[in-house]
Amino acid sequence: MGIKKFNIWYISSFLISLVIATPIITVFFSFFETTSNYSSIIKDTFLYEYIFNSIFLLSGVLFLTFVVGTGCAYLVSFFQFPGVNFFKWALILSFAVPAYIYAYSLTAFFENYGTAFSILKNIFGEGDYNSFIPKFDGMLGAIISISFSLFAYVYVLTRVSFHYQSQNLIELGKNLGFTKQRSFFKIILPSARPAIVAGLSLVAMETLSDFGAVSFFGLSTLTTGIYNAWISFDDLALANRLSFFLLLFILGLFILENFSRKKAQYHSPTKGGFKSKKLITLTGYKSFLAFSFCFSVFFISFLFPVLQMLYWVIIFPKHFIDLNSMQLFLNTIILVFFSSVILISLAFISNYGNRVTKSKLLEAFTTFSISGYAIPGIILAVAFITFISWFDNNIINFFGANTIKSIFIGSILGLVLVYFIRFYSLACNGIKSGYLKINYSIDESSYLLGYSKFKTFTNIHLPYLKNSILLIGVLIAIEIIKELPIILIMRPFNFETFATTAYVFASQDLLEAAATPSLFLVLIASIFILITSRYIINE
Amino acid sequence: MTKSFLEIKNVTFAASNKNKVNNVSLNIENEGDIICLLGPSGIGKTTILRTIAGLEKIQSGTIVLKSKTLSSSDVHIEPENRSISLSFQDNCLFPHYNVLKNIEFGAAQNKKNKKDLNINEVIKFLHLEHVIDKFPHQISSGEAQRASLARSLLSKPDLLLLDEPLSNVDQSFKEEIQVKLKQILTDLKITTIIVTHDSYEAFYLGSKCGIILNGQLRQYDDPYNVYHFPNSVEVVNFLNRGILIPAKVTGENSLENKDLGTIKGNFIKHYPKGSDVQLLLQPEDLEHDDKSNLKLEVVDRKFRGTNFIYTLKTLNNLLIPVFVHSHHIHQHEIDEKFGIKRPIYIDHIVCF
Repeated sequence: MGIKKFNIWYISSFLISLVIATPIITVFFSFFETTSNYSSIIKDTFLYEYIFNSIFLLSGVLFLTFVVGTGCAYLVSFFQFPGVNFFKWALILSFAVPAYIYAYSLTAFFENYGTAFSILKNIFGEGDYNSFIPKFDGMLGAIISISFSLFAYVYVLTRVSFHYQSQNLIELGKNLGFTKQRSFFKIILPSARPAIVAGLSLVAMETLSDFGAVSFFGLSTLTTGIYNAWISFDDLALANRLSFFLLLFILGLFILENFSRKKAQYHSPTKGGFKSKKLITLTGYKSFLAFSFCFSVFFISFLFPVLQMLYWVIIFPKHFIDLNSMQLFLNTIILVFFSSVILISLAFISNYGNRVTKSKLLEAFTTFSISGYAIPGIILAVAFITFISWFDNNIINFFGANTIKSIFIGSILGLVLVYFIRFYSLACNGIKSGYLKINYSIDESSYLLGYSKFKTFTNIHLPYLKNSILLIGVLIAIEIIKELPIILIMRPFNFETFATTAYVFASQDLLEAAATPSLFLVLIASIFILITSRYIINE
Repeated sequence: MTKSFLEIKNVTFAASNKNKVNNVSLNIENEGDIICLLGPSGIGKTTILRTIAGLEKIQSGTIVLKSKTLSSSDVHIEPENRSISLSFQDNCLFPHYNVLKNIEFGAAQNKKNKKDLNINEVIKFLHLEHVIDKFPHQISSGEAQRASLARSLLSKPDLLLLDEPLSNVDQSFKEEIQVKLKQILTDLKITTIIVTHDSYEAFYLGSKCGIILNGQLRQYDDPYNVYHFPNSVEVVNFLNRGILIPAKVTGENSLENKDLGTIKGNFIKHYPKGSDVQLLLQPEDLEHDDKSNLKLEVVDRKFRGTNFIYTLKTLNNLLIPVFVHSHHIHQHEIDEKFGIKRPIYIDHIVCF
């Protein structure tokens, strides 16, 4: 194309990627920095526990999300049974329940003298029920909490893949004489593999960077190790080093998957030759089993935590009345609004820059920069504070200007900036996947009709991508509403949202008080999900 | 000396090393001329159009339109500023607009243009009335191609580039559209370069045809000359409209072939007496005559509607094509003998 390589689009895109990449670069270089004595203590004591727990947690979550996510996606994509249309969108409501709130509900229900105990007591009278009620705490509690709050990633992506699978594939299986089971394992599942792996990758990254649930259950993982290294021992270098291990771990998973896939081609939802699937109507016990499976997942992942919270709100109305809900709501919405606008605008500039400049180097740098999604929020926040302090002490001081720390640390601006770094990959990939659907010759057609690059952007790209933008905006909103570690570190003094309020109460063991903000949080997130459920399940 | 409307001078067209057309020079003399580029798939025809449109840069040479340099080693006018429209071979309609809105996109950009073309007229002649409310994914590839053509036509550019514009169009519409397209382009004096692999389409639409082979523009001439006076064996083979048979030049207006005997006519290029040459024999060069004593064996017969093409085998195993009007009183079956009128006279003899 006739565009000068280093134009304004190139430079803007490069700068955006550079800002996003800063934490990764920081983490990388800090690997070579000297650490405190805590480093050797960690190495001799907790490091293996961190790694073992992280791997164990990851394995458990990946297994459970795979079974639940693909199982639900398979049932709602290929079969007709009572409630199937409801489950198609209802199952994604679990996105609204963060793992830490799920953990509060799980504990509240099954703990000694908890909700389960009360229910049994009300039905059967006094008794020693505590010894019969299973306890979901520690590792098991964390696996269940994280899995049921994250399985929707696998469900949504796999469902889309199944949705676009052509009837031809299924008929091919029949022609080859495959049974339904054989068709599922030999044709349907392998062809949805990239989607399943993409879903599991997101689950893996979220699991490894989870802080709320694992800290609530007192589980020592790499993430809590990072937190301890910084909070308890003030050793940022060690925290970064642990993050580096975490990044390597995630990178290893990606490489393993790519290597095992080799050059195999998977289906793509193209128009040519695509034949819509005929749904199989289930009857009798099969229909009942399919319904039960989907309902159980819906109940466990969404209804259960919501009902548990609701139960507490009803029996402890004082906490509901005392809560300054309107202020918390406003604070949450302010954060969502500013973060979404900045994220979507800059992700657009970066993607458009990549598109018009067609620079492989820029594309590679952008891809590298967004891999920071895997960096736990805690580390991003700490890296940001460290960078601002360094900049203030060395650069601002040098010019004798006023300190900028208060502008960026403990401020809404700083918080939004760290959110920008944290969720940029979500915005960037979302816009990118929208752009991938626009063949480049569409742009060329527009230019050749006399439309400038800016007019092409406003007349062709924006109208075409409006659904993607809405979807990304909502996904960002949901993530920010649920996000915990960054806001705990970066928020201004006395700036509370539903998430922070819930966390503060829960950390003081006041789970019944945490119920009200948790319920609000889940309801707001649910509303956002319902607005876009049609897009989420089809995009 | 008057300036050409479009001048392409010593340009090497290359999107990659694979599709490279070297050192091309061609002119379109007058506004409103239509030229066609013919060549096998993957040779770089589309690259030529993309480069003229400004979607690819050039390293050497110049492209000048209406006395304005569009491309050279140090000049590159952006595609949107060239007033050149390219209709792509594949569906490049904007997916989120219906067909009508897509077509209107072309019309909207050229309000100032004096060339008058009515949108409804274009929709009608391209048989798009029944799909104007549909979206690109709801229409066939032929319909999408016609909609794309409509959009380009309505943008009324200084230079229109059409990449295989009718390749997906049903045969039933094709001829009608070709006729109407030529009429519109001529009436509105829209200068056009058409890339096609259909030689009949090129011969009908183009006032000149360029043959691109082996990374070079091998011939650029009017269609009659390209067909009857191909300038190389490669062009003959590409057009596939005749065969080359060995012959010996026996005089100023004659040559001799072992199987066909004496052949008379006018040499396009003269060879010394006694020269061994390859004579281009096209299906219409020989005439059928049942009474002739020159009989050849029928090895194949193709029915082409208005005519048959018989493939005849000579004693020396040459396979020669011959046209016979399909209303001819009788047909010859395979293995039968087929008479060739003698003496053989070819109006213009092409030899290599």
